[in-house]
Amino acid sequence: MSCVNLIEKERNAIINPLKTCQPLGAMYAVTGIRRAVPLVHGSQGCSTFVRYSLSRHFREPSEIAVTSLHEDAAVFGGRRNLIEGLQNVAIRLNPSLIGVITTCSSEIIGDDIIGFIKTAKKELTEKIGEEKTEKIKIVPISTPSFVETHLKGYDNAVKALVDHVAEPSEPNGKVNIIPGMVNPGDIREIKHILGLMDIESIVLTDISDPFDSPLRPSATELKPYYPKGGTTVEEIVDSANSTGTISLTKYAGSGAVSLEKKYNVPAELGPIPIGVQNTDQFLRNLKKLTGQDVTDDILDERGLLIDSMADLSSRYLHNRTVAIYGDPEITAGIARFVGELGMVPQLVLTGASNKTFVEDIEKVAKETGVEIDTMVGGDLRQMEVYLKDNPVDILIGSSDGRLIAKEAEIPLVRVGFPVYDRVGYHRHPIVGYNGGIHLIDLITNTVLENYYEHQHWKLQQ
Amino acid sequence: MEPKLEPIVETFKSREKHMCVKGEGLSIPVCDKASLPGTVTQRTCVYGGARIVLMPITDSIHLVHGPIGCAACTWDIRGSKSSREDLYKKGCSTDLGEKDIVFGGEKKLFETVIELHKLYNPGAIFVYATCVAGVIGDDIKAVCKKAEEVTGCRVIPVQSEGFQDHNKTKGHWIGCDALLDHVIGTKEPEETTPFDINVVGEFNVAGDFWGFKPLLEEMGVNIISTITGDSHVEEIAQAHRAKLNIVQCQKSSNYLAKKMEKKYGIPSIKVNFFGLEQTVNSLREIADFFGDPEMIERTEKIIESGLAEVEHKTDEYRERLQGKTVALYVGGNKAWSLVRAFEELGMDVMMSGTKNGIREDYERIKEAVRDGTIIVDDANSTELARLLKKYRPNLLISGAKEKYIALKLGVPFCDFNHDRISAFAGFNGFVSFAKEVDASVSSPVFDLTFTSLRG
Repeated sequence: MSCVNLIEKERNAIINPLKTCQPLGAMYAVTGIRRAVPLVHGSQGCSTFVRYSLSRHFREPSEIAVTSLHEDAAVFGGRRNLIEGLQNVAIRLNPSLIGVITTCSSEIIGDDIIGFIKTAKKELTEKIGEEKTEKIKIVPISTPSFVETHLKGYDNAVKALVDHVAEPSEPNGKVNIIPGMVNPGDIREIKHILGLMDIESIVLTDISDPFDSPLRPSATELKPYYPKGGTTVEEIVDSANSTGTISLTKYAGSGAVSLEKKYNVPAELGPIPIGVQNTDQFLRNLKKLTGQDVTDDILDERGLLIDSMADLSSRYLHNRTVAIYGDPEITAGIARFVGELGMVPQLVLTGASNKTFVEDIEKVAKETGVEIDTMVGGDLRQMEVYLKDNPVDILIGSSDGRLIAKEAEIPLVRVGFPVYDRVGYHRHPIVGYNGGIHLIDLITNTVLENYYEHQHWKLQQ
Repeated sequence: MEPKLEPIVETFKSREKHMCVKGEGLSIPVCDKASLPGTVTQRTCVYGGARIVLMPITDSIHLVHGPIGCAACTWDIRGSKSSREDLYKKGCSTDLGEKDIVFGGEKKLFETVIELHKLYNPGAIFVYATCVAGVIGDDIKAVCKKAEEVTGCRVIPVQSEGFQDHNKTKGHWIGCDALLDHVIGTKEPEETTPFDINVVGEFNVAGDFWGFKPLLEEMGVNIISTITGDSHVEEIAQAHRAKLNIVQCQKSSNYLAKKMEKKYGIPSIKVNFFGLEQTVNSLREIADFFGDPEMIERTEKIIESGLAEVEHKTDEYRERLQGKTVALYVGGNKAWSLVRAFEELGMDVMMSGTKNGIREDYERIKEAVRDGTIIVDDANSTELARLLKKYRPNLLISGAKEKYIALKLGVPFCDFNHDRISAFAGFNGFVSFAKEVDASVSSPVFDLTFTSLRG
């Protein structure tokens, strides 16, 4: 029987979360813009703990400003903090863009963000003149922390950016890419594929350099500090003139939909190009939008992935059971890929509550012919309990599952966010054919380490 | 000496007086002020302050009443080790949603507490209020009281709404208050000795406490509780019967010691187990306090053998570290407690600063550092980068957020914060400390950073 077996979380408490709140996603998105500053309108902890989380995963600085709301703001509103905060950022950091990111408290207080931005601009014009003021784009991003997850915050941020910044002019022949919350290695792989296809792109937004930047003190712009790279504001302006938008995630494609509605830029949403068929689909989408045919180089890369799958899957991976947890897009993508490898995606678990996720998993269940235990809106405790009665061979997910893996004596293949107890995971892609090769290497080596007799390795190729 | 006219680094006018040089003028920076809105602050919120004080209570569930982010970004981020339970490592949240914001989250909180009690039967459930809990006006105290009656388990409200104050120290105090109001004094010890103590403000980060616990035991003192490293809540409940509180982290926990002195008449002494000299002094002060000749004799023997054990073990490191400069930028306590330890390594503390210092903290820093040391308060990320760039210390001691700022500038970094993995306290801890500092300062990588290939 092939279907999805939905398992409900039968309690209120979240125990060991698999999601965080919206503002983190927005801070991530704004970091992907060149010379942009995320300005969190909330308590100091709202920026500090996120900076800590991001730094721990990427091993990079994470520069996020905050309006430092205190008790008086809860009573009288955060008006002065935001207006002063915007001016301080504008004057001291001379940014190209400021993303004003709300939080639970500023949303509940009901601060009039748009009005405050207007006032701040007016005051700023008096101080630094109109020309300089107009050069700084100020984008309000509403991210109420008590609604959905970090991915929604990312989605809201990308949508706010195109809604406030994109402007139609001449067609540019480029493709917009909304990568979703992925790693620098993933975005670099997408850009590599686009390069091979000879397609120019605008990545909305591109965290690949800001979250993986070189240590070159002489080259680092220190006054003030901005990391190398990121999407330029001009590119975001130009995104209204692109040939199309591909959102690698259908869970956060509102920016693509908005560009389609407002500027007739055709949108393709998902799936994330993890594994063979999803990457095939990504290339078809590219072809559909640009007319560019898939090149030999890309077919070779596909061939290399298929080659390693042929080498490894029947020998080591077939019928091995897997539990996958994390963000919906990545989890669904990996579920499909392990299916392609002949493995059994026995359990999938995501922290978001999303119907689309269940539909995605139903598709994988049909393709693989297995029943997939599925948890949505779940937490890691749910997986911990499940594994006691339903063990699997391999866990795939973030470092947050490491203690469960240890307790259950099941090896963990690390993917997604956050990965803090191993290195290099933000650098290597899991998307595209090359990402598939990397992933299959990770999975197979884990299987070899754990399920084969070391003394017979020489016979087991 | 004339006060310096030049600001120490370029910054906002209102921020200039938050930095000063020891020996010039008052030598105490302006401090304990709200951060400027719109800066990349290195500070955190009041909730964060309360959470780090209480989180090391290992047999307890720490439940965050708020939207998911407050728990998701803070669970299991303190490297406080446990020799027994690991319940404290769980990330628990009521995950407040839109409906709860509109209708209130009290019912959900109550049900969540009941569930957690059923699942884990913990020593206590600490319930932390976040900004949202405060804004929507949930009566956490009432819910905790009711849940305590139903479960028979200690359910302790922590009124730590994040935005209450600009200073995380307020959060430390709120954490201490939760213990004072609901835990300390609620259980009588089965037996007492004349040498009962509490170790206050020791959070067992990386196992620090275990570096001096055996020394204390050998001296003959009886540790009733540590507040809060590697502790159980029932131990802290008996803390009121101690004859002495020794306070390691004075930043977070002097408050608690003072309150305990007032309420229970327990005197306290400040100790510091970072560095050999400070470890020796601390042990002697404890022994002197009790004045027991046998204990004093035993203590001298412990000191003798402790010093003998590590003698020459740091020579190699000291040789390499001689004269190297170090900048400290920490939460509070370490800004003064580490100064002597670095001097023992032959290093020069050229800057010391805190994110949340209050005036008495800066008095301590002023006492600890040499003339000419830069003292900074609440330096934001831009200021920190400018300080590092201008003065180029050979080492920065700070936390995880500052780590990559320093490294990107080619300034070596050593972690002395929550997520550090080596224990640095006590005699052997000092050897680990020297080793780790040397690994940072003497790394060959930084020689490669400034290689010029062009021109």
